[in-house]
Amino acid sequence: MVRYSFLVIKNLHGSAIITIKQLRASPLLSKGVCMKKIFTLTFLLLVTPVLLHAQTGVKKRRPLPFEYGRVLISTPNLSPDLPDVQFDHWLHRAKYTCRLCHVDIGFAMKRNATGIKAEDNIKGYYCGTCHNGKMPHGDRAIFKACEKTYTEIELGSRCRRCHSVGEKVRAEYDFASFTGTFPRERFGNGIDWEKTEEAGLVKLVDFIEGISFKRRQIEVPKDFELSTKVESMPEILFSHKKHSKWSGCEGCHPEIFAGVKKGNTKYSMTEIFEGRYCGQCHTTVAFPTTDCQRCHSKPVR
Amino acid sequence: MKRQAAVLSALFLLLPAAAPGNWDFPPPKPVEEYGNLLIHRTSEKNNVKSVSFSHWMHRRKHTCRVCHFELEFNMKTNTTEITEEANRSGRYCGACHDGRTLFGHTEPHCGKCHNGDIGYGNLRFNDMWRYPVTKYGNRIDWSAALEEKWVSPARYLTTPPLPDEVNERKLDLDAAWINVPPSLFPHRKHTAWLDCNDCHPNIFNIKKKTTRIEMVKILKGEYCGLCHGSVAFPLTDCKRCHPTMRTPPKYPEPQSR
Repeated sequence: MVRYSFLVIKNLHGSAIITIKQLRASPLLSKGVCMKKIFTLTFLLLVTPVLLHAQTGVKKRRPLPFEYGRVLISTPNLSPDLPDVQFDHWLHRAKYTCRLCHVDIGFAMKRNATGIKAEDNIKGYYCGTCHNGKMPHGDRAIFKACEKTYTEIELGSRCRRCHSVGEKVRAEYDFASFTGTFPRERFGNGIDWEKTEEAGLVKLVDFIEGISFKRRQIEVPKDFELSTKVESMPEILFSHKKHSKWSGCEGCHPEIFAGVKKGNTKYSMTEIFEGRYCGQCHTTVAFPTTDCQRCHSKPVR
Repeated sequence: MKRQAAVLSALFLLLPAAAPGNWDFPPPKPVEEYGNLLIHRTSEKNNVKSVSFSHWMHRRKHTCRVCHFELEFNMKTNTTEITEEANRSGRYCGACHDGRTLFGHTEPHCGKCHNGDIGYGNLRFNDMWRYPVTKYGNRIDWSAALEEKWVSPARYLTTPPLPDEVNERKLDLDAAWINVPPSLFPHRKHTAWLDCNDCHPNIFNIKKKTTRIEMVKILKGEYCGLCHGSVAFPLTDCKRCHPTMRTPPKYPEPQSR
């Protein structure tokens, strides 16, 4: 009797490697069991590649400008009154830098990876850092995020402002009227956020008393070129200045790009498309990777 | 028991190799209507006739990338938020149809688009009678028409495409089935019309062999089938992708022009 053992490994790019090994004959196996095994093996061999290649070759639906950067945060342990939280990046990024939330407050960059709890918000962490009913914003205070108990009225007027997935909630800020005067760009939110900031249409807060700490500023490194693997593909001009305005240094270093020295971190376009390295922000919140020439901008010499 | 299992496993193994080709296709559209579509995302709700759009009319003047990259038109009908307001502010159709370069989104031009007639403008198809001929689709070899300068579509409005040399590689794509010769993929012929992002990375990942393309999926409108079957030459034209196929199955040809 011949026995086979096979191993299915999924590599980084999602394709499967199947290794089949012939094992030594085992006298313990009866004929029937063996036939069954061969049958399941053939079946599995045919079916596994199909299952592993669930990725389909269709054009993804492009999110509408106001949907781009939307994060749905699941809240599985709450009462059915409180559905999942819908967080739209565009409103917050028009007021605060990325660094403030993702470094100082400590939100992870991946959906649901932070594990935000109501208790933490009440204690003044995460959303509760600003959403505490006291933090001034213009001439009023920012509404309180979570409380131990809530009334029926509060549920509609306060809780549902965030816990809004599947509920009919009228948002306080309308995307079209809020961003109407901002310079336009292709894809993403349809907004050139960089120019919007330069023109002073948005003023970004980068410091919260008691949460942020001022250090002596590190001089922003010069812009540099990133060479490409494909011949005559225009090189990438990377601007530290543009990125550090929103993300600071800590937004990217050392977690996403380990090496502070150029060339230390090796990555490919495939990995970026998968949402790693540049793709961490540039597939979700910052302008998407479908806008090739916005990065590949330096003419080939 | 033993024989049964053996026969069954053999069947499983042989199934994919049996009967290559001869797929079921819907009857071909008339040549003048291939690639035409009706857009009715909101028009009928607003008591306006749906918009007829003809790909062959537009692809003579502009490459695919102008509309499907620069002007941000999606690839699927009725998914792009085209509105009167957007058009009048110079987006989508309004980028060209502004009343100066071309007729605008104003009276008395309504009926030129809002006519609900998929064959609108058919007579203008005859202008192209000298273009290189193929068997299927519009019965026009658009690639050859471009190379022979019968058409010289604008490649951009504001953002020039990446240089042509970026990807000149021809891919040799082996078929999964026995008896089917490999498919040849010329990048150059595609980049003449399309932008990189029209296909990468959503439809095809950029690294060869990381995307598993199957004919069955292509027939469903995935991968190559997204364009080939709706606008670009249809899948009934086997030999154009599998050039070494000896006896390609014969499918009914569309009405001759």
